Amino acid sequence: MLSRDLATQILDEVLRRGAEGAVVRLQERVYELVVYDSGVLRGYSISTVRGVGIRAVVGGGTGYAYTSSVDRESISRAIDRAISLARVASSYGRKSFAPVKPVKASYRVEFKVDPHAVDPQVKVGIVREINTTSMRRAGIVSAVTRLGLERDRRIVVASEGTEVEVDVVGVGLAHTAVARYGAIIERVGDRESYIGGFEHIERRDWLRFAEEIDELAIKASQAKTPTPGTYVAVVDNEVVGLLLHEAFGHASEGDGVVAGASILRGKVGERVASELVTIVDAGLVEGGYPVPYDDEGVPKGRTVVVENGVLKGYLNSRDTAYELGMEPTGNARAQDVSFDTLVRQTNYYAEPRDWRVEELFEGISYGIYLRGRGAMGGQVNPSVGTFTFSIGPSYIIRSGEPVELVRGVVVSGNILETLKEVDAVARDLKVTTSVFGGCGKGAQIVRVGDGGPHIRTRRIVVGGG
Amino acid sequence: MIHEVVERALRVAGRYGLDEVEVYAVRSSTTDVVGTIRGLERVTSGERVDVGVRVVLGKRVTVQGGMVSRVEDVDPIVEAAAKVVRTLPEDPNWVSLPRKTGRTSVEGVIDPKLRSPDVGYFIEVVRYLLGRARDIDKRAYTSSASVRSTYVERVIVSSHGGPQVDEHTEVGVSVSIKAVDGTEESGYYDFYSATTLGRFNPEELVSRAVEVSVKTLGARRVDTGTYEVVLVPRVFANVVQALLVPAVSAESVQRGRSPLAGKLGSRVLSESLTIVDDGTYPELTGTRSFDDEGVPTSKKIVFDRGTLREYLYDTYTAYIDRRESTGNAFRQTPYSPPTPWITNILVEPGSGDLQSMVRDLRRGIVVYSTIGEWLSNPVSGLLNATVTNGVYVEGGEERFPVKGVVIAGNIYEAMGSPEVRLTATVESFARFRVPAVYIPKLTVAGK
Repeated sequence: MLSRDLATQILDEVLRRGAEGAVVRLQERVYELVVYDSGVLRGYSISTVRGVGIRAVVGGGTGYAYTSSVDRESISRAIDRAISLARVASSYGRKSFAPVKPVKASYRVEFKVDPHAVDPQVKVGIVREINTTSMRRAGIVSAVTRLGLERDRRIVVASEGTEVEVDVVGVGLAHTAVARYGAIIERVGDRESYIGGFEHIERRDWLRFAEEIDELAIKASQAKTPTPGTYVAVVDNEVVGLLLHEAFGHASEGDGVVAGASILRGKVGERVASELVTIVDAGLVEGGYPVPYDDEGVPKGRTVVVENGVLKGYLNSRDTAYELGMEPTGNARAQDVSFDTLVRQTNYYAEPRDWRVEELFEGISYGIYLRGRGAMGGQVNPSVGTFTFSIGPSYIIRSGEPVELVRGVVVSGNILETLKEVDAVARDLKVTTSVFGGCGKGAQIVRVGDGGPHIRTRRIVVGGG
Repeated sequence: MIHEVVERALRVAGRYGLDEVEVYAVRSSTTDVVGTIRGLERVTSGERVDVGVRVVLGKRVTVQGGMVSRVEDVDPIVEAAAKVVRTLPEDPNWVSLPRKTGRTSVEGVIDPKLRSPDVGYFIEVVRYLLGRARDIDKRAYTSSASVRSTYVERVIVSSHGGPQVDEHTEVGVSVSIKAVDGTEESGYYDFYSATTLGRFNPEELVSRAVEVSVKTLGARRVDTGTYEVVLVPRVFANVVQALLVPAVSAESVQRGRSPLAGKLGSRVLSESLTIVDDGTYPELTGTRSFDDEGVPTSKKIVFDRGTLREYLYDTYTAYIDRRESTGNAFRQTPYSPPTPWITNILVEPGSGDLQSMVRDLRRGIVVYSTIGEWLSNPVSGLLNATVTNGVYVEGGEERFPVKGVVIAGNIYEAMGSPEVRLTATVESFARFRVPAVYIPKLTVAGK
């Protein structure tokens, strides 16, 4: 069993062997996945990640080592390796960390029903019913339904005296339907995740959830692709989340900024978005993924990145904060103990304003309503600001009304242009997360949340078949 | 430790009255060195052992596993699998775990320098990549550079045979270049990825990245319209991976998620395109002596001069089509269920070089890099990719750099044209060995 005591023992040993500073991370993560594919159970898997990660600082150099073996000998070897790598690194320069106040705290997600203790037959039964019902629906040729259940327990101790423990439980269900109409086949997928126990799975009407996805896939298979070009767009909560995460969030990560790889470098205090846009990164927000402390043990509060259109700061780890002369913001995160931390977003979203959603459509003679259901995700090149993402079936807007469904929609733009074009922000804030994926960077995936209210932008490039 | 883990798992499984058991264990050791413009950022090293156990009772199947800390950690994994499998519904398609396991002789999968990595050498490589760009062109600098070296040892054993044992090394070197000239900025990312350092040339890597980055300074959008397009090998490989690879997976075909279902023997691409899946090609990162369920890897022609000849199978999908696995079982993690996926993809070269292909363009875009091509839809065959480094060419002359436009179209229409051409020169990287491609007509969403 991994414990805070074990972590502090390892930390003491790292310091005893000559490190001037250290962070020790222990982790145990259990992930359970049930997959039904087109009426057949294709997977019931349970996987566990368990191990120890050690960051040692020696002579200003930093080394990181990990081991999945928690026996005394393996841990001892990992300590030696971390120290040895730090010594090697020290001959190539020093790395400094912004000071932090030590924290001793625990955070635990409360739940009623332990998802991993529920009878496997119950879990399989839920997924089977959704999937087989979907496969019986006229027009659906293939359907994949997944139930994901996760518990991630992390302990972080640092030489400054920090000792934090975070225990997060999450559940979710994902459904992807493939519909055929003549020679056209189209897919639409969506997922819904909750932080908490299996009670969230029990109380949701998942048949209705899947039915909506199936019907959208059927309609999308009969829809046209949009005419490529530049559009006025109303953007729903989910696409706003994607857009902010990809288009702005990555460029605001401090490691990219200090590396000269972000288009936002040197732009603090400058206008980077419409004055209607305020963007925050918060560790704890309703609907999001809880990150009360990062993997350096630093509290993750609420970081205002953009306020009324002006860039206020970046997301920082302890070392990027030092480099940039800023405060650490609690954004040093790692997928698991086999990786040292990178600067990552937590829950990145736009603050709401006063518009009603209907008002955003008013006055648009021809435009597009960009919808997130069925979105595949996105990507950005933060050094030049170009972003792209694939979104779900959307609607062409004519005379202020979303009237015609279109499929295969991809949008693209530039960070510093797109958010300046925002001319209306609605009041309907919504943040979501997912236990099926997350944000990828440096070969690591971490859980994140994103979202915002509906917005309207005067100009966005839309590609399509 | 992995041999003990596998033996123990099989022994423990024997207590539970299961019909079939397969244990797959992977030990991986990695060393990472990362540097940025401010110097050496991280030196990381570690080792992990991951185990997956697939158990079968009648037609009930489950896979369980994870990172293990000690040999005895497999006991609860096997126990949980044996318990869960009894509660599951039958899979009517299930026949058996692979019965014809074995290995193919492969070369060029081990580099001794990566099996016992020299961290100092990797640091020197990173430092060279960080410092060299500015020497080549004052407008360019390296924003980040990294080396990741991995040594992997695999063991698989099942009720039907084994153990099969193999090992391979893998190295990835990357460099991100930024170019700045007044208010104009551009960036370009390049990498080396192979099983050995045999073809690694740091000067070549950084020079090419600087060249593209500087060449695309001042990029802008072109007008929305239809253009000729040239995709350099790396972009072409990404497009093939995003759209064609999922479509030739037998699983996609059988589940109605492939536009190539029912098209074996039909011409679906240009006659200039012959595409081979080859799990034995030296130095490519998908080369193994056996796939992820112990079936020997092989070489097979998937598209022969544009005609679809073969889907890619693992054992499960092969049984459904009453044939043998093609040795294409792939697991995302050692504890994931296998699915069919590529080993390495080789696209047969054409004639001429990239320069002559560009000179032949009437009105087109040469695409050096894209983002988001992986968001294309393999179910519908719709390509969508955003150009981050491109050059607009008119009358064979390079006119101005391009970025921020979306190239789009149905891949089978675009690649089905008889005018599609390939270069004679090919590039090898990661799981691909491909030339550049000329596509006569693609939609470009720009201004």
